[in-house]
Amino acid sequence: MHKLGRGHRDKVQQFMTITGASEKLALQALKASDWHLEGAFDFFYGQQSHIKSYTNTTHLEELYKRYKDPYTDMILADGITLLCNDLQVDPQDIVMLVVSWHMKASTMCEYSKEEFFTGLQALGIDSLEKFRERIPFMRSELKDEQKFREIYNFAFGWAKEKKSLALDTAIGMWQLLFAEKQWPLVDHWCQFLQARHNKAISRDTWSQLLEFARTVDPALLNYDAEGAWPYLIDEFVEYLNENGIIQNGQFK
Amino acid sequence: MVLHKFGEKLYSGLVTTMTSHLKEISNSIEAAQGGLFLDELNRKWAEHNKALQMIRDILMYMDRTFIPNTHKTPVHELGLNLWRDVIIHSHAIQSRLQAILLENVRRERSGEVIDRGLMRSITKMLMDLGPSVYQDDFEKHFLEVSADFYRLESQEFIESCDCGEYLKKAERRLNEEIERVSHYLDTRSEVKITNVVETEMIESHMHRLVQMENSGLINMIVDEKYEDLGRMYCLFRRVSNGLVLIRDVMTSYIRDTGKQLLTDPERLKDPVDFVQHLLDLKDKYDKIITSAFRNDKTFQNALNSSFEYFINLNSRSPEFISLFVDDKLRKGLRGVTEEDVELLLDKVMMLFRYLQEKDVFEKYYKQHLAKRLLSGKSVSDDAERSLIVKLKTECGYQFTSKLEGMFTDMKTSQDTMQGFHASHGSDIGDGPMLSVQVLTTGSWPTQPITTCKLPAEILGICEKFRNYYLGTHTGRRLSWQTNMGTADLKATFGKGQKHELNVSTYQMCVLMLFNDADRLSYKEIEQVTEIPTFDLKRCLQSLACVKGKNVLRKEPMSKDIVDTDTFLFNDKYTSKFFKVKIGTVAAQRESEPENQETRQRVEEDRKPQIEAAIVRIMKARRVLDHNNIVAEVTKQLQSRFLPNPVVIKKRIESLIEREFLERDKGDRKLYRYLA
Repeated sequence: MHKLGRGHRDKVQQFMTITGASEKLALQALKASDWHLEGAFDFFYGQQSHIKSYTNTTHLEELYKRYKDPYTDMILADGITLLCNDLQVDPQDIVMLVVSWHMKASTMCEYSKEEFFTGLQALGIDSLEKFRERIPFMRSELKDEQKFREIYNFAFGWAKEKKSLALDTAIGMWQLLFAEKQWPLVDHWCQFLQARHNKAISRDTWSQLLEFARTVDPALLNYDAEGAWPYLIDEFVEYLNENGIIQNGQFK
Repeated sequence: MVLHKFGEKLYSGLVTTMTSHLKEISNSIEAAQGGLFLDELNRKWAEHNKALQMIRDILMYMDRTFIPNTHKTPVHELGLNLWRDVIIHSHAIQSRLQAILLENVRRERSGEVIDRGLMRSITKMLMDLGPSVYQDDFEKHFLEVSADFYRLESQEFIESCDCGEYLKKAERRLNEEIERVSHYLDTRSEVKITNVVETEMIESHMHRLVQMENSGLINMIVDEKYEDLGRMYCLFRRVSNGLVLIRDVMTSYIRDTGKQLLTDPERLKDPVDFVQHLLDLKDKYDKIITSAFRNDKTFQNALNSSFEYFINLNSRSPEFISLFVDDKLRKGLRGVTEEDVELLLDKVMMLFRYLQEKDVFEKYYKQHLAKRLLSGKSVSDDAERSLIVKLKTECGYQFTSKLEGMFTDMKTSQDTMQGFHASHGSDIGDGPMLSVQVLTTGSWPTQPITTCKLPAEILGICEKFRNYYLGTHTGRRLSWQTNMGTADLKATFGKGQKHELNVSTYQMCVLMLFNDADRLSYKEIEQVTEIPTFDLKRCLQSLACVKGKNVLRKEPMSKDIVDTDTFLFNDKYTSKFFKVKIGTVAAQRESEPENQETRQRVEEDRKPQIEAAIVRIMKARRVLDHNNIVAEVTKQLQSRFLPNPVVIKKRIESLIEREFLERDKGDRKLYRYLA
């Protein structure tokens, strides 16, 4: 580090903070991209796919055995709770969603063997220690715009029952997700749904809500009534106006 | 002289001589006093013309050779020019001439008689001297002075006359001017002077005239002053935006009147009366447009769009129009000639075309038709069919296929009954006479499932019919619609009076109970008959609480039916008619809750239609943005109803949910069809 100029040192620091990578990896990535942070990120994340081959399958088997249900070849709720304890992470912690996303888990509260293996290999994990180390990295993934969108949209499929998402589950997830992303209207949105909608959430509404949160400002100044938003969102806008939450382009 | 090359001399000599001669003439004209001025001028002019002719003849050789070669003015023309320059444009004469001419016109306008012939000659003279002479020396000033004249006069008139009188005066002045032109002015002046009159008398006061209190356009319409209206139309047609003004004022008046009619709760109580009012209103305006407005198409269109506007202000219009038709087909058309029937039906169709919610009309029409058919109350089968044909022509066969199905069922049922009686005639004997109409479920309005225990006597024969029918039509299912039938009962009262009671099936079930008991409580009746509460109460009400039809007595004698009431057979019932009708099967204006229910059903029916339209459109276009889908769907469905954009949006979302459509990944406003 001493041979680096101040600018480069800062970049390394930044890189490590954002990605949770080690100093060695940070240097490797930055050098490979000629000290451009963006390029370094691409390089670094690209590397992740190579890491898969370095995980030890035997260790993974052991890990899996620890959590799997005694009667079925799957990890069920109890196993997941145990895993969270081992990781010193709250089962409600949003990082578990990221884990599930890496696993491409088909439904919440259970992991198939394949899903468990897929996920951990993708993350380069074959031990609890490595798992714990990867947690900051996974948290950081939520800060990436593109990944957040993928995780957000994944969440619907993962948490839904049949074709739609139960309202309570949806509200819970929205509050978790938008705590990360900071959408000022999230509480009003949840209140509105409970007061006026009281039904399950469709996939279209779920995914369009993210777009809405992303592109429309909280004072609704650039809300386009002709913007083909789902009707539930149109109703939400009406609700905000009716209840004086948005007045004259001001968000209270 | 020309031949000897003295052309120049000849010519200039001519000029000089003529000029000095004309100067003398000028003096003599100037000397003429007052009225003789024009006369003198005219006479000298005539002389001059004659002289010119002779001179021209004499100097013809010069005219033909010297003058063209030297580009000099030909003789005749020269003579005219000199006349113009020396006489007409002479200082003294020019202004005097103008003044006298204009004065004459003014006098004539005030009613005096003037020498038109003389005027004619003078103006002709001016025209002969050159169109610019006529225009500059006379016409220009004539128009200016006329404008002033009419400006003043129109101001006077408008203060003192009402609209009709004013228009008469304006028309008269206009005609006068046209006549004036034909008598002594150049024809090209006609359009110019009429323009002046139009501008001053009509255009400047257009608005004031139309809005004039107690005599303006609206009053004329209300009082049906066809002549005045016709006059206004003809006059206003001459000015730009004149007709637009009339049309706009008329249109907003029609809209207001219509709106008032449509929102007046008093009027809305009687649907038949209400619709009749609409028809009368249309007739009135049609007459005005044909008699006074020359059948002007733009006025027709304005009338149509006004009707379309206010008829749809009231969401019950479709129901009311159907009730009107129902009333006519039930009794109103009795004794009316075939021609008049057609006329009325055409008028009804005209109102139908204005409706935005034609599907609502269809629903009500079906209900009302069903009642008419089942109670046998239609005045004329031909009239019924005629209307169906008209509806089919207007809306396509899908609209009417179910209605036609209803007619077919009636006919088929007749045949079935014949067959039934033929094969079972002997069995029935003294038992009740049964007449069944078999209705195909899809064609008739949907009915709620009814529970009702038929009396034993009836059940027997009903079973016989069921077996007979199912014997010839296997695979079908029959269910008795006890809420739609009627029965004729022979009843004997206390003193032996016999009456024939025409009642509904429910009422029959209730009354038959009194064959075995003299008094029954509400609960007992309910238990045995199993008729639904709302219907039972209504049924008992019409049997016990209506004057003249109270074949049952109720204790206590209150107006409403409650669970604790007791009913007794009314021994003392009397009626001056042998046949008494107690059933309540006629079509009626729906109560509010019923209306809500129907509306809900209509909304439900619309959803699949909207979805079908969306799918059709997306299948053809593959990719389309939201606003365009809404526009296309609206276009496709507008012949039946106007779809609500919010509902369209919800249907799109439902289709996304069911994976018929998806949003485009790049542009969220775009939708794609998923094969």
